[in-house]
Amino acid sequence: MRSRRVAIAALAVATSLAVTACANRGGGGETSSANYPSKDLTLIVHAGAGGGSDLTARTLAKELESDLGKSIVVENRTGGGGRVGLTYLKDRPADGYSIGFIPVEVAMLGHQGADIKPDQYTILGQVMNAPATLSVPAESPYQTLAEFVAAAKAAPGTITVANSGAGAIWEAATLALGESAGVTFKPVPYDGGAPAVAAGVSGEVKAVMAGVSESGAAAKDGRLRVLAVLAPERVAALPDVPTGKELGVDVVIGGWGLMGAPANLPAEVKQRLADAVHKAASSATFTDVMTKAGNTPMATSPKDATAFTQAEFQRFGEIYQK
Amino acid sequence: MNALLDGFGALFTPQIALCILAGAAIGMLVGAFPGISATMAVALASAFTLTMDPLPGLAVLLTILVAAQFGDRIPAILINTPGTPASIATTFDGYALARQGKAGIALTASAYASAIGGLVGIAVLMAAAVPLSNLALEFGSPEMFALVVFGLTMMIEVSGGKIVKGLLAGLFGLALGTIGRDPLDGSDRFTFGIPQLVEGIPFIAVIIGLFGITEVFSQMVERGHAQQEAVRSFGRWWPNKAENRSMIKPVAVGSAVGTIVGILPAAGGDIGGIVAWDQARRVSKEPELFGKGSLEGLTAADSSSNAGVGGSVLTTLALGVPGDSVMAVMLGSMIIWGIQPGPSLFSQHPDLVYSISGILIFATLLTLGLSLLRMRGVAKLLELPTRFLWVVIVTFCIVGTYAVNNSVFDVGLMLLFGVVGLLLRRFGIPAGPIVLGLILGPLAERNFRRSMELGGLETIYTSPIAVVLLVAAVLAIAVPRIRSRMKARKRPSPPGTPEPRQPAGVGS
Repeated sequence: MRSRRVAIAALAVATSLAVTACANRGGGGETSSANYPSKDLTLIVHAGAGGGSDLTARTLAKELESDLGKSIVVENRTGGGGRVGLTYLKDRPADGYSIGFIPVEVAMLGHQGADIKPDQYTILGQVMNAPATLSVPAESPYQTLAEFVAAAKAAPGTITVANSGAGAIWEAATLALGESAGVTFKPVPYDGGAPAVAAGVSGEVKAVMAGVSESGAAAKDGRLRVLAVLAPERVAALPDVPTGKELGVDVVIGGWGLMGAPANLPAEVKQRLADAVHKAASSATFTDVMTKAGNTPMATSPKDATAFTQAEFQRFGEIYQK
Repeated sequence: MNALLDGFGALFTPQIALCILAGAAIGMLVGAFPGISATMAVALASAFTLTMDPLPGLAVLLTILVAAQFGDRIPAILINTPGTPASIATTFDGYALARQGKAGIALTASAYASAIGGLVGIAVLMAAAVPLSNLALEFGSPEMFALVVFGLTMMIEVSGGKIVKGLLAGLFGLALGTIGRDPLDGSDRFTFGIPQLVEGIPFIAVIIGLFGITEVFSQMVERGHAQQEAVRSFGRWWPNKAENRSMIKPVAVGSAVGTIVGILPAAGGDIGGIVAWDQARRVSKEPELFGKGSLEGLTAADSSSNAGVGGSVLTTLALGVPGDSVMAVMLGSMIIWGIQPGPSLFSQHPDLVYSISGILIFATLLTLGLSLLRMRGVAKLLELPTRFLWVVIVTFCIVGTYAVNNSVFDVGLMLLFGVVGLLLRRFGIPAGPIVLGLILGPLAERNFRRSMELGGLETIYTSPIAVVLLVAAVLAIAVPRIRSRMKARKRPSPPGTPEPRQPAGVGS
């Protein structure tokens, strides 16, 4: 009697595994590119629902839907700091029905041991950038970036700078800033952007490197002083804060985002999607949501975005070499 | 006073009422569904509420959060599966009560405790948000490390008397917690090249496997051996006078602990519930019942994890720094609506703070009413023949786990942990300490190593808060053992009294 029960239990496990395994297949049927799009699209996001990347993707998806005339299902494939989602996207069929939000990690993970490179994707255009900000606690003695750099020069490797996590973009930004200014900071990883900013507000660290959207709230409230924004131009959310370039430290770095698809997308499909992405990224709704969230909306051509991504891939390789 | 009237008054519109109703319905459903957390529900809803005005939008989001925290107790009590991580501690006593045929009373008591805890948290939010939020800033890395070490001492207490087996289980949990990217240098540890493990072992898959699936498997295997039947009867619904009185103290303890833990960044309802359960056990007259079906343990855990909602809303509003992942999502929406959280929100827009408190209060009362009404309906589900019920539960667990990351890997892992849980149960090894090790281990490591980066051991022993918490951790382990030894001395000495233990984990 008991062995039968065990067998039933084992069977239940096996069946449930089989069912879930099957559920993952399917989709990806052949359709000609002439009447593209003839069915609904899937937009893959590497991060969980509710985050900045998810917000960008969902806002963009609404605009894309009205242009393409088909529904776009946003699918969050989270895990591995972007590895899971990016790997999933690159392995989808290149038929134009699987597109994805491609984060800055596409240029970083390849240098951190993952099999992810920009040329594994068809890049459709850049849609946003979240420039890095360097901020100090309100009561910090450092009033300018020059003073902060001078302090790091006087005591190399001891000036602590919080970031959102090991291997994340804001840690790389800290390294890049130090490289550019000729000093060494001490990056301290926290468990996300918010705890890093909290450590900056409480003065547990000397400074915090974070995106505009993360440091913006505390900065506007006067509990953080933003010394520099590492963007090509001043940003709308912090109009009084000078850029690194203005202050003589010419480094531009941030958490950017592209729209893309698996590599080798048919030319007509690529053109249709790139046009749609450009239109959606230029729409008033999208630019408005991006600006309010503290990011910089962008709409670049596939060619420019591809060149930019390759350049970023090279650059992160150099940052992680050192 | 005007701000209070304005803030509450703004809520009396049909639109807000509808929003709160919709939020309550969505929240209770997702809460009752294992795997689908409040964070996910709020995140998905926020895509729709962004186009609404701030107040109705907040009404939807905050109500979902409150209601999900109520709904998640139901599967915890009836099928030993926490609906969201916040109800892990609910399973300790809730399921034991249900097994004793007291599910009705457990559900009622849990709903009341949740509501009271929630209201206490909100009251604190209204009274003293700004000064209290500074407490959150006092908790840096060294203080969090000490708090977590204090939490780890509970491994012994959630072992149900089987100390050696409990510690083994705890070590297993700690070991699982080391999987994933090294928190400081970013290198991969024990991930075996599996990308799904880079951010750590999927926590929700592990708890659903260890609690829910293990229970179903064990009922399947043991069926025919009597006493392993699923919960069939609810018994009484209303607690009697003596029971009501016995719950006053644990609910007070739970509400206080929950509010404080909620204020701290990076500590949510799951930790709040576990800490309160242990604190209530320490002050209880019947500590031996804890974990075996104690109404005190159940109500302490539930009042605490719900009091945490007020606490985390408070930190978020007053600091502009989210207290947990749900609030991070909420903060994103607020910023897009043009609400700028921070101390100035309280001085410049006190009416908005009162509106938010008002929404939380209405949501809590409405959800309490719904819970008390709806629970009778749940009884119908349990009238299904057991083998159909198993299918329903396993399906719920699979779909819920899949929904977290859209990942088949997670589902496989959950089923694997169902089997692991079954084996552990055969050897009498408790699951509670595994979960504790898995939640707290990574937190202890990160905060300890970060403290070392920030200034070495000095950061810990120069922090009064950290020192007090570490001393409390040592006492928490030593005192009960010294006391039992002194008792033993008074009587003719029974041999083999355990030595006082030092906390493991310090300096690991």
